Amino acid sequence: MKHTTVVIIGGGATGIGILRDLSMRGVKAVLLEQGGIAAGASSRFHGLLHSGGRYAVKDNEAARECIEENTILRRIGRECVEESEGFFVLTREDDPSYEKIWVDSCEKAGISAAPLDVKDALRLEPNLDPDIRAVYRVPDSSVDGFRLVWHNAMSARRYGGEMLTHHQVIAIDQEGGRVKAVRARNLITGEEVCIACEMVVNAAGSWAAQIVRLVGLDVGVQPDRGTLIAFNHRFTSRIINRLHMSSDGDIFVPHGSITILGTTSFKADRPDDHHVPPEDVLRLLDIGEVLFPQLRSYRILRAFAGTRPLYISNGSAAGRAASRGFHISDHSEEGLEGMLSIFGGKFTTYRLMAEKLCDLLCSKLGVTAKCRTALEPLIADPSPEVLEKARKVFPVHGAELAANRLGDAFPTVVERAEAMKENTLLCECEMVSRAEIEFVANDPASTSLTDVRLRTRLGMGTCQGTFCSLRTIGTLTECGVSFPISPAENLRGFLQERWKGLRPALWGIQAREMELGRAVYAATLNLDGAKHEQEK
Amino acid sequence: MNRKSDILVVGSGLAGMTAALTAAASGKSVTLLCYGAGSLSISSDCIDVLGYFGGERTKEPFTVMERLPEEHPYRKIGTQAVKTALEWFEKFCAGAGLDLHKPAEGEGNHELITVMGTTKPSWLCPDSHDAACIRDAKHIAVFTVENMKDVHPRLIIDQLKHYPFLADKDFQGFTLPCPIKDARRNITPLDIARYVDKPDGLRWLHENLEAFAGKFDVFLLPPICGMELAQNVWKKLSTELNVRIVEMISIPPAVSGLRLYDVLRKSLNQKGVYLAENVQILSADVEQGKCRALYSEEGQRWEADEFVIATGGLLSGGISTEPGKAWESIFHIPLNVPADIEAWSSPDIFGSSLFARMGVSVGGDLRPLDEGGAILLKNVRFAGRVLGGYDFALEKSGHGVALATGWLAGTLAGKE
Repeated sequence: MKHTTVVIIGGGATGIGILRDLSMRGVKAVLLEQGGIAAGASSRFHGLLHSGGRYAVKDNEAARECIEENTILRRIGRECVEESEGFFVLTREDDPSYEKIWVDSCEKAGISAAPLDVKDALRLEPNLDPDIRAVYRVPDSSVDGFRLVWHNAMSARRYGGEMLTHHQVIAIDQEGGRVKAVRARNLITGEEVCIACEMVVNAAGSWAAQIVRLVGLDVGVQPDRGTLIAFNHRFTSRIINRLHMSSDGDIFVPHGSITILGTTSFKADRPDDHHVPPEDVLRLLDIGEVLFPQLRSYRILRAFAGTRPLYISNGSAAGRAASRGFHISDHSEEGLEGMLSIFGGKFTTYRLMAEKLCDLLCSKLGVTAKCRTALEPLIADPSPEVLEKARKVFPVHGAELAANRLGDAFPTVVERAEAMKENTLLCECEMVSRAEIEFVANDPASTSLTDVRLRTRLGMGTCQGTFCSLRTIGTLTECGVSFPISPAENLRGFLQERWKGLRPALWGIQAREMELGRAVYAATLNLDGAKHEQEK
Repeated sequence: MNRKSDILVVGSGLAGMTAALTAAASGKSVTLLCYGAGSLSISSDCIDVLGYFGGERTKEPFTVMERLPEEHPYRKIGTQAVKTALEWFEKFCAGAGLDLHKPAEGEGNHELITVMGTTKPSWLCPDSHDAACIRDAKHIAVFTVENMKDVHPRLIIDQLKHYPFLADKDFQGFTLPCPIKDARRNITPLDIARYVDKPDGLRWLHENLEAFAGKFDVFLLPPICGMELAQNVWKKLSTELNVRIVEMISIPPAVSGLRLYDVLRKSLNQKGVYLAENVQILSADVEQGKCRALYSEEGQRWEADEFVIATGGLLSGGISTEPGKAWESIFHIPLNVPADIEAWSSPDIFGSSLFARMGVSVGGDLRPLDEGGAILLKNVRFAGRVLGGYDFALEKSGHGVALATGWLAGTLAGKE
């Protein structure tokens, strides 16, 4: 039996944010996550760090929270944020009377929204429809959700926070109306762990209702599926929003060399409903074309979906109309001491959500330490010496990229690269070198090539793994990294993930890519036949 | 600008080049239009005819061929045509200095070994790829070259040992020092194969392998035994080192596919086929069910009496798609596909997918048919992946279909 003060359930932005916050306040905590870190909505969204402009009219309070948190995150998490700025664009299809309401609401929320001449806007973003009517600049930014969560995790680790990934909570033990312990199963080894604790925090996002049900209570969390498309081009340098009441498919977010278009909003049956119907993709293209007329000629890298954990209090609205605000439940009101749940919210305000929850939790524990998460950067900047060394062992532009991805681990990886005869570049599209891949693969949190992909961006670029997956699994086998599954299974799993992302967009250039993938991996390497012929 | 020839072939993959060669044998003037390198640059010089049927490995392709579905190109042209095409090709290659062999009488498909450590069935292959010797071998050395990203002995050994018949073999992995300086980040088997064509390169390979001779029964190498001189290099090394050398099949750039490509190109030149590079055909001039000419990007008109279209499938651009729609790219022949996009593919990447079998429907003479079975174009034949009714990836039948249909299309066009 393990002992700790707080068990946190859920390894998304909120849960990890809470782990960091508690660890910085000196409260012992263990986090349980059923998948990998940020496997849910925290990595399955468009990666927009909201300025708040999107919520200004409908929920001015949420908009104010957004701009405040946006400012904080650009400071503490700058390795994860690309300060791309955003445009709000009034198109020929949007109601012009909304413009003034929106401008006033932004001012009220404290969001700077400066008008820009349409001609100047088109010079900056020449792929936009020339027939747009008005443009405003806002401090939107692109954020790498996955990386931000990981950097929070690194910070939490530094303060003693502990994380167990691939651990699914199976029971929450109670005694005399109090939470006593949390039991979880390691989904990879099948082992069970029991962690005794004083408090439990349910930050399971779309899975939060399932956790509440474990203690015999009920809550209104409605998973809401949002579909997104990643394109193989950075056809906009800025985040582009439609200047109208928030709707489907009206946000474009550039990330590195790609652009993400999102999202739809459909009620999902299950929190893990990540199925993307082709209709969603076609609908996004239809709507997106209003801003970018050439949209259909750009290659789609993948379509994917996440589920938003919308909180529905009794009788309130669902779907697009539901609040993006968050809600903290103290289950002592229902007769169970020692358990708090946090519902709803959005990525941009994860830190604030964690702060509010930890304030409540600490008051219950009698801890007086104040929140410091807004004051201290998630990771320290690499020293000039380490960067200088890195430039000799990483590809030119790759040193910076690796430093941003790796955070705390960067100096270790640089040392590893220096010790190698040659730090080969394994993923040319995203500039990921062997030292980084080996390091991440050796992390206990990595259980497959897919986990390595998520942390390093291996296989996320133009080739989508067609050329880099074989050499990566080869390299890892060569240097003795072993995963719970065989190299062939690993490769099949990796390719299968990519396949899933292309199936709902099977036409045009995507269809060519799919045929190429099958040509290499089935026709040439016979991975399909080998599946039945090789013994486990 | 106008160019006129008796026969016009579009596409420089195995199907197109084969069609151009057989058409040229008729003595007629032949033009071959190329757009890109063709699929040999991503495959190999081994001719997979039919490695799998209904998910099971075939012992040899011809006995099961008759049981393929009716729309399969092999069924359309008949088993005999496939056999004749393969015989022709074997002879042709031997004459061009690239010996490809079918398995010995009574033996099943050849067994190839890939850099993924898998085995793959194939029908015709050069001696250097024939891995039959591995069955009787006890000690097997697996080689890579320093900084060759795509070839890793430990992976290959680990995977090969998952096959029951290889589980007990003594495998050992070795890395040869990289002979090419200043290109360390990007060494592919193609770089080394080109180097080995030179005297220095051959010496390098010989010297580095010599130390292992006598200790192993088989050497598994990346495909690095030369390009133009591959056959001689392989023979020389095998004899001098007295060891069975097997080249593994690798991912693109495909060394052995390019060897075959070079052989075919050379032959086309010798036969007087006019090759035009970088010509993309966009449309056709068709009158009363007869094609009069094709138009390329620059508005150039390519006239001919007979046409062979070997433009490939989705990957090469012979087939175009839009959401829920598919058509042949030059003549805009609609392909019968469901509007539901999800029905196009299997949820499993290696499952049976409709889009993989999508292509032009033809008669036994490879002329395109409409839905009622009537000939759409009297003087146009289709060959290779642009044809529907088969899945080259799962069946391991890509080169077999390309070769057989290319051979037939060229032969028939030559007879008109």
